[in-house]
Amino acid sequence: MLAASRIILGAEILALRHRLLKRGPVRLALLAVLLGLAAVLIGGGSFSLGVAAARYLPQARDPILAAAFTALAVMMFVLGFPTVIASLFVGRDLLQLVLAPVRPIEIFIARVVLAMIANLLISSLLLAGALGVGAGSGAPPVFYLLVVLLVITQVLIVTAFQALLMSIVLRWIPARLARDFAAAIAGLSGAGFYIAWNLNLRQSFEFRTRPNLTSATSFIQQVGWLPPTWPAHALSGVIDGGVGQAAGWTLLTLGLAGLVATAAALLYGRTLLAGLGVFGGATLTWRRSSQRPAAVARAGAGSPLRAIARKDWLAYRRDIRRLSRLLPALLFPIGYAFAFSRPSRELSGFWSEVFLIAFISMFMSTTLGTPSVPSERRGFQLLRMAPLPMWQVIRAKVALTLPAVLVMTAVFGLVVALIERNPLAEIVELIALGMWLGVGFVAVGVSAGAIDPRFESTDDRRAVGMVGTLAGVAGALGFGALSVGAFALLVFALGALAGTTHLGSLPSTPVIGALLGVAAFILVAGAATVVGALLWAANSSLVRFEDPIAAT
Amino acid sequence: MAVPASEGPFAVEARHLVKRYGVVRAVDGVSFQVARGEVFGFLGANGAGKTTTLRMLCGLVTPTSGSSLIDGYDVFTDPMQAKARLGYLDEEPFVHPHLTGREFLDYIADLYRMPRGAERQQRMERLLGLFELADRDGELIGSYSHGMRQKIGLASLLIREPSVLLLDEPTNGLDPRSARLVKDLLEELAARGTTVLLSTHILEIAQALCRRVAIIDRGHIVATGTMGELRTQTGSEQASLEDLFLELTAGPESKEMIERLLAPKPS
Repeated sequence: MLAASRIILGAEILALRHRLLKRGPVRLALLAVLLGLAAVLIGGGSFSLGVAAARYLPQARDPILAAAFTALAVMMFVLGFPTVIASLFVGRDLLQLVLAPVRPIEIFIARVVLAMIANLLISSLLLAGALGVGAGSGAPPVFYLLVVLLVITQVLIVTAFQALLMSIVLRWIPARLARDFAAAIAGLSGAGFYIAWNLNLRQSFEFRTRPNLTSATSFIQQVGWLPPTWPAHALSGVIDGGVGQAAGWTLLTLGLAGLVATAAALLYGRTLLAGLGVFGGATLTWRRSSQRPAAVARAGAGSPLRAIARKDWLAYRRDIRRLSRLLPALLFPIGYAFAFSRPSRELSGFWSEVFLIAFISMFMSTTLGTPSVPSERRGFQLLRMAPLPMWQVIRAKVALTLPAVLVMTAVFGLVVALIERNPLAEIVELIALGMWLGVGFVAVGVSAGAIDPRFESTDDRRAVGMVGTLAGVAGALGFGALSVGAFALLVFALGALAGTTHLGSLPSTPVIGALLGVAAFILVAGAATVVGALLWAANSSLVRFEDPIAAT
Repeated sequence: MAVPASEGPFAVEARHLVKRYGVVRAVDGVSFQVARGEVFGFLGANGAGKTTTLRMLCGLVTPTSGSSLIDGYDVFTDPMQAKARLGYLDEEPFVHPHLTGREFLDYIADLYRMPRGAERQQRMERLLGLFELADRDGELIGSYSHGMRQKIGLASLLIREPSVLLLDEPTNGLDPRSARLVKDLLEELAARGTTVLLSTHILEIAQALCRRVAIIDRGHIVATGTMGELRTQTGSEQASLEDLFLELTAGPESKEMIERLLAPKPS
């Protein structure tokens, strides 16, 4: 490798080492245990799935591998964009490199390797699954070497392609819109792919003793010529003993990687300074279209709650980056609404609507609520210095997020209920459930962000640390399961009290109805406890917070 | 919104403040008092512990041991009372980049529950005018220069008239005109009874403004007092604050180091 690239990477590794050691031995050990557990559970699960797929669905081996490689390429493309932008186009340290006698190609190599590390972490899932397919198919040893080579090559292709795309974007799109444009493209393509995927495959895995892979394989066959599937064809060739096929697809993949990386390196050299110009300095050029006269001040006491809500609203409106990230987030619930309302499903209409509402509420709350505290950035210190208890900050964030989530959930629920022609009583039940879930999920989402905020992060998607993310997922799943369980018990209890519900082996009597009602109440109390515990943890975390927040 | 001060002689008290980060003692037993209406200088080299001490005084950093009192209220056990009286300006001011200057002042005023109305509005306009930010009304703070951020940060403190100001390098990044404005403003505020604790590298400002100074070196207070007291302590009657500072912080002689650096290489 080129000397300067090695020096740049060496410095990054040293910085990473310092960041890790700063955490202290206990937190480091905890992190290692968590990562080890995740590797065993997720990696082991992925490997087992690969083994099972290869053993029980040998005819679908190629489509399964192709689907896995394609899905991971899309995931890397969508999730990895901020990393590529941060590694190759942002950062004051890049200015130092530009001023030093270092060739752009050397900066490119070092920074692409750095950006690849994040994508490689995502790809470890694919690696484990593909190794499982090999093990399940009794593949020869060369398969395992080839898997590693092809996964790394796939990561290189995607990363270099992202760098290439950004280099082009910076040449053709007005500078101040470049990052937003890239984020929107990545988000929309990811969401579009996900929805298409969901709609095509949903039928294949629903409530049948054996999955029907017809639609899956036909979908893969339609996209089998796309580059992300080439490594899969090479690996299938190795398993089937087709040396020519394996060598051909491998060479094609390696050739493509070389081509994309070279093109990206050449364009990057020409665009590096433009990128630094866009991302390195202040990008906020927003100006009011006309100077409005100062509003006449309203009388009354100043309200911190209103101040935080108004500030957040203005910041949201003026930050195109945050708005562009909302767009794909909104597409997911729409996709799910379509998927759930497909006539082929075998679950009762009412209960699929319950799950739809629960999903949308959880999704919207996570998207909007979780980054709401960390998005204060350095401004959080103003809140800490104000005579303002931290629980009021949390309350303000919940109050601002709640209306959007409730409206979205109610609209989706209503639309689906009207399509399904639910009776009025069921619509009322669904809306009531939506309101309850909205309040709980938003509180959980906001708490998750407050438990482990990353105030220095400029990207909302990275604004919460691992502890907060885990707390949020666990809290949302716990609250959701308890709430939906309570709702189900309540519906059955009402039916039993009226004597109109069939409860399997249980008699539909008022006593059983009352017992179900009590059980529902216990579950509701459990759900409220989950939310209360998270709010308490969030408040404690914010009260204790004292890390310096770097100026970003 | 000036909050009435509690009874007692000192507006700011640092009591045996210690802050440890792992094995490193960033601040080690710092104690001093600032009287009401006094402008007090807090001096020290880079990394000496000035910012950590100020952040412990305003409640952003919890001390490992010791306590911080503002107008007699403990910042950590009685935070609402202490914070209502306190204004802190960080060396990199905490601002919201997506708000305009006027919106930011409005936000701060609401956070501190200042009554809305014409009086607040007029005060805001006066401050924006004073810091020459009134004609930048349509611009977001994110597009401000460092000096302009410093000015809006100062304005956000002054809008609510705190009785104690803790300022970390307030003239950092300001042009000479604005630096002079800040200096005059602090003098006027002190004359009207506001207590100012000022951390600065610019010793001329400290010498001109501060009645007393404390010098911190590697986490320890090495000297506290008026210029006269410091001169007596060091035994150098004609010394300037710069001479006293260099003597008390006792680094290697810069002239000697420069000569060593620029010495001809052995052939």
